[in-house]
Amino acid sequence: MPTAIGQELVALLPRLRRFALVLCRSQPLADDLVQGACERALANADRWMPGTRFDAWMFRILRNHWIDHLRRTRAEGMAEDITTQTQLIGDPGEGPILSRLVLSEVQRAIDGLPQDQREVLALVCGEDLSYREAAEILNVPIGTVMSRLARARRRLVELTAAA
Amino acid sequence: MSELHLSDEILMAFADGELDEPIAAAVAKAMAEDPGVARRIVDFQKSRRLTRSAFSEALTPEVPPALHAAVSAQIEAYEAKERRAAHEVPRRVRSRARWSGLPFLPMALAASVAVVAAGIGYWAGGQGSQRTDNLMARLEDPATHLELSRVASGDEVDLPFGRLRVISSYRLGNGALCREFRLTLASEAAEAVACRRNGWNVTFALVGDAAADAGYVPSGGEDPMAAYLQAVGAGTPLVDEAEAKALAEAAR
Repeated sequence: MPTAIGQELVALLPRLRRFALVLCRSQPLADDLVQGACERALANADRWMPGTRFDAWMFRILRNHWIDHLRRTRAEGMAEDITTQTQLIGDPGEGPILSRLVLSEVQRAIDGLPQDQREVLALVCGEDLSYREAAEILNVPIGTVMSRLARARRRLVELTAAA
Repeated sequence: MSELHLSDEILMAFADGELDEPIAAAVAKAMAEDPGVARRIVDFQKSRRLTRSAFSEALTPEVPPALHAAVSAQIEAYEAKERRAAHEVPRRVRSRARWSGLPFLPMALAASVAVVAAGIGYWAGGQGSQRTDNLMARLEDPATHLELSRVASGDEVDLPFGRLRVISSYRLGNGALCREFRLTLASEAAEAVACRRNGWNVTFALVGDAAADAGYVPSGGEDPMAAYLQAVGAGTPLVDEAEAKALAEAAR
């Protein structure tokens, strides 16, 4: 009989991959991170209460797994070719109203943000998590979430205003 | 009324619906009165929308097959473990039984369950109380064993220290004769199995309240005695003449 956590995990994989990419900026590494995070989640399955937010719980595990990876490899971050990320935008045929050009520009602006601002932006505005949930995932005070988020969004508006 | 400093963070929180009602109302009022404030809030809404769109586009619903397979395998392993845990049987009882290898014993693990191996008195999951020690000793009492050799199944007999009721007789696969019986003392009772090999050897005992009366059935709903008998391959009970014959043979 399938478990709640098993079903939740499979359903969340696309979003996990997306956030993992924000963290490590390399698709192959992102998928490795996701796999490792899933293993950790299942090992600690008794810490998640079915009915509560699985995505916030899982993002936290993923990010902690990433931090551990950083410590282990003593890397400061992966150098990332920006064109790889813009490819992920894919075909906007069924996409939103914004034109492909504008979307690329927004994506570029987001990529240009400092890492900690990009993570906050991804969690709150990308994944629709609350300030509190983001603070718990990132292990920082809510005030820090808010100031980073405000800075990120001011910058985004500046960068895209000249369109 | 104190002045509300309209920082970017507060206006952003308003745009994100993160403000508590009293402050949100104050910001809404300021927004209505000041176009500059309104502009800043609208910008925060815009940046949120843009980010949302960019992130939506970045979501690929298709997960690479290798990743999907790996995670599915992890989940299967996890679920198999959960299923096993639900039907958990404890490991082999580490006993120095005179015949080796007591098989798996499903144990309901109520506090007053004890397993006795061949008179050595190995306790598993037991609360060793003084009373229980006494009860266990009585299982080995010569008076008890004397009656075990005589009493037909279904009969009861009084002993100096309590009452013995023999429940059934069985043969094991190796031909050994075993008997299931209940020994009731003043405030405690035991259901036990003793097998004949150079005398009677108690191989299994359940200790519970005398009040538990008609067979001790632990809260888990399992019947450890039945499980034990099945585990040792006790087979169908010997009755009447077959039983009498077996007892007579055993007495020699």
